[in-house]
Amino acid sequence: MSSAQGANPEYVNARIRARRAKLFDDEDYRKLVRMGPSEISRYMEESEYEAEMNALGSRHSGVDLIEYSLNRNLAENFEDILDWAGGGLYEQIASYLRKFDAWNVKTVLRGVYSGASRDEVASDLIRAGEFDDRFLERLLDAQSIEGVVELLDGTIFERGMEAAFPEYEETDVLVPLENAADRAFYENLIAELGDYEPDSALALYAGFLKAEIDFRNARNALRLARSGADLDPAEYYIAGGDLFSEGQLSSLVSSTSELVSVIRDSEYGDELGQALAELEDADSLIGFERALDAALQEYADHLSHVHPLSVTPVLSYIIAKEREVNNIRAIARGREAGLSEDEIEKELVTI
Amino acid sequence: MMELAEHVLNLGVALQNEGSQTATSGPAIEKPAAAAIGIGLAALGSGYAERGIGAAAIGALAEDSISTGIAILMTVLPETLVILALVPLFVG
Repeated sequence: MSSAQGANPEYVNARIRARRAKLFDDEDYRKLVRMGPSEISRYMEESEYEAEMNALGSRHSGVDLIEYSLNRNLAENFEDILDWAGGGLYEQIASYLRKFDAWNVKTVLRGVYSGASRDEVASDLIRAGEFDDRFLERLLDAQSIEGVVELLDGTIFERGMEAAFPEYEETDVLVPLENAADRAFYENLIAELGDYEPDSALALYAGFLKAEIDFRNARNALRLARSGADLDPAEYYIAGGDLFSEGQLSSLVSSTSELVSVIRDSEYGDELGQALAELEDADSLIGFERALDAALQEYADHLSHVHPLSVTPVLSYIIAKEREVNNIRAIARGREAGLSEDEIEKELVTI
Repeated sequence: MMELAEHVLNLGVALQNEGSQTATSGPAIEKPAAAAIGIGLAALGSGYAERGIGAAAIGALAEDSISTGIAILMTVLPETLVILALVPLFVG
């Protein structure tokens, strides 16, 4: 946290907009898609990722090097934002970045569950959230799922984790614990918003969070509907959105077409209309999920122009940066797996 | 800033009262004094505006996205307000 008293959106936003301009654009992606893993590494060494590539270059190689550099660069970028911000702005950014705490908790849980080595799990963590390095080390040292859950006492994840733990013990499946982590993050985020005036920056921020929750619910519901797995959709439900209620979601999962028509009639219908039509025609979720990501990004960008002196530009940068990291990872992994250029391009989220 | 404005206002009222008690016909505040109040308020206003611009300019400079010249120019733009506020001093 900066030593400045009170929020300093001017300073943070100026720096963020400069960083945003340096993100890879469509032209860069077009070049990257035609490269092999080593060429991608070389390209990244000459970009914003130079420091991370050099630091990790001696320990990793190939696609792993790219992936770890991406993760570390992401974490460094978000730590920077927190360093710059002060006052209320810091609080808002920090509570959004707890997303990575949830990610880290899930990574550690999966690591313990699958018996991965400590180093493997450690290199997959994204050190951008509220948990400091010491706490993360303690999480990594935990020997059992129960140990991890106990360590989370006193964090925002405590309640959800403890409620989900008996179910894990019964079924020996991680899903309830993972959902508890996501749910704790979003519910805490909504709860911290408190009261706000209509049409203020905070109200739009709340609108954005609701859209994010709605999209996540829609994505989970569609995945469940398509997989046909016998899972209780209520377990995946995240409260706080406008699109579905818990009961509604459970009944909709049984039929994809009904679910699509509900989304089409909602306030997101205009933005997602084309993607929904594609979903019905092609019967493929990939395009639809990309469309959800792109719609969220566009919404965040829109907000950042409506209220430039608030947390919204930071939010739009965080999403854009995540998108870039996911795109580069998709390209690198796609090339490694020998996918064609067209197939990789379909995986990319560009706006 | 609002407190200060209130203070200046009170001062004006006090001066006015004093004026009526002594029953002189001159204005409550002499013209140069009134112009000085105007200039001072204008300076406060531009100072407040420069606060945000300066912070943003330093942020942009730290990311190397603009030149120092542009940053300084942008930061002192509201200063023109103070120069305009000097006008009443000469024409009033």
